[in-house]
Amino acid sequence: MTSADAARPPARPRWSPATRYRRSLWLLTTRDLKVRYSTSALGYLWSILDPLVMAGIYWFVFTQVFDREVGEEPYIVFLLAGLLPWMWFTGAVSDSTRAFTKEAKLIRSTTIPRTIWVARLVLSKGIEFIASIPVLAIFVIAAGASLHVEAFWWLLAIPLQAALTLGIGLLIAPLVVFFRDLERAVKLILRFLFYASPIIYGLNDLPEQFQFWGAFNPLAGIFSLYRSAFFPAQLDWFAVAASGGMTVAFLVVGFLVYRASIRRVLKEI
Amino acid sequence: MDEGAISVTGLGVRFTRNRSARRSFKDLFGGRARRRRPEEFWPLRNVSFDVAPGEAIGVVGRNGQGKSTLLKLVAQVMLPDEGTVRVEGGVAPLIEITGGFVNDLSVRDNVNLTAGLHGMTPRETAQRFDEIISFAELERFVDTPYKHLSSGMKVRLAFAVISRLEEPIILVDEVLAVGDAQFRAKCYMRIEELLAGGRTLFFVSHNEKDLLRFCTRGLYLDEGRLVLDAPIRDVVERYNADYGAR
Repeated sequence: MTSADAARPPARPRWSPATRYRRSLWLLTTRDLKVRYSTSALGYLWSILDPLVMAGIYWFVFTQVFDREVGEEPYIVFLLAGLLPWMWFTGAVSDSTRAFTKEAKLIRSTTIPRTIWVARLVLSKGIEFIASIPVLAIFVIAAGASLHVEAFWWLLAIPLQAALTLGIGLLIAPLVVFFRDLERAVKLILRFLFYASPIIYGLNDLPEQFQFWGAFNPLAGIFSLYRSAFFPAQLDWFAVAASGGMTVAFLVVGFLVYRASIRRVLKEI
Repeated sequence: MDEGAISVTGLGVRFTRNRSARRSFKDLFGGRARRRRPEEFWPLRNVSFDVAPGEAIGVVGRNGQGKSTLLKLVAQVMLPDEGTVRVEGGVAPLIEITGGFVNDLSVRDNVNLTAGLHGMTPRETAQRFDEIISFAELERFVDTPYKHLSSGMKVRLAFAVISRLEEPIILVDEVLAVGDAQFRAKCYMRIEELLAGGRTLFFVSHNEKDLLRFCTRGLYLDEGRLVLDAPIRDVVERYNADYGAR
């Protein structure tokens, strides 16, 4: 066996698990963005067109058709500061219903840590969100809104939203493999959540008796952080604290469900 | 354990028979009595063996006797319900090899992506890039979108990438049945090269000639059990005696 021993390839220096995770996550995220932007001429524009059209519609309906009593002035900035993060959330959550089924072949042939299949969705939609910030800036300048020192809370809002979305994704992705109906249920819940979250209105526009419960929507506190950059009065620390608590809860439950089900997921896909 | 060694103890995997544990909401809320009780079965159970670095193992058995499942467990793309699989060092899995490729990206992007996902650093990929492309005979198609390749070209590319991974263990699951005769011969030569380089080989095939050519030791699986673990010649003989290939 000595000759074979000598011929054996030298042990390659291996990446630490953290490096492997980071590299694989980055490879898959850039793959998604590359595919999106290489297959359509309008690439970047598509990812911001959707929230822009929605913002345009709501702006028209609530400032030109109805007499608006919610939100703050300029309303278009108020809307976009909620809509853009909402696009990140809804995009990542609805994609996570297909996290395992769509990539089944790749999951069956590589051993990268499997939380990446959800994490990459949160990251690539998050990058699109970051890339849409200049659009918000243009509207802030054009509409004459002022930027306050509370803009620094974005540095808290972004990781908080990423963690929340990851937790929900880890919860949904494996369950969809077993309960196919969940895919449609999630779509419905997301549509409901759009109106149940302070996007076209602010948390303090809710009737008194709903405000307490509204704060337990984890998106409420996060959106209030985003909005405080332009409308400091929107900042609601009770809602932020509730968001933090809900985020931790979703992360823990999501991770436990993921860990308990991954064995069966790998057999099913 | 040395780099390239595999240790499998008491391995078992459970499936449910009436296709998939998938349920609808109706089952979920339908109460215990009305729920379909899935019937269990074990495609593999109580399987134990050790592989030393540099050994070439052929896995033999009829269809549906757990061969591919065993390979997936060793590749760690499926996780066991019982027992353990310990694999020292990385694995180059020639299983579903074209799975990771993306239609809309170029051949170049696809090579970088797949090699990266299997653990190659960007520098290693860059060093081997020309070698991979020339092995796959795709020099003129480097910037062509993957979807425009013929199916033969796709398999060639996939084999070229995975077989260049420089991992101590290679798993081969009948991928060589595809491709033209000339490319198949090239793949065989590559596998022999890897074997001569001291790699551990795990080979699933129905082809007696291939098994005898590459492997020294055989594992015979029948009804989810490891029936015989012996030199490959004995294993093939026993298999032929049981299920007569004549």
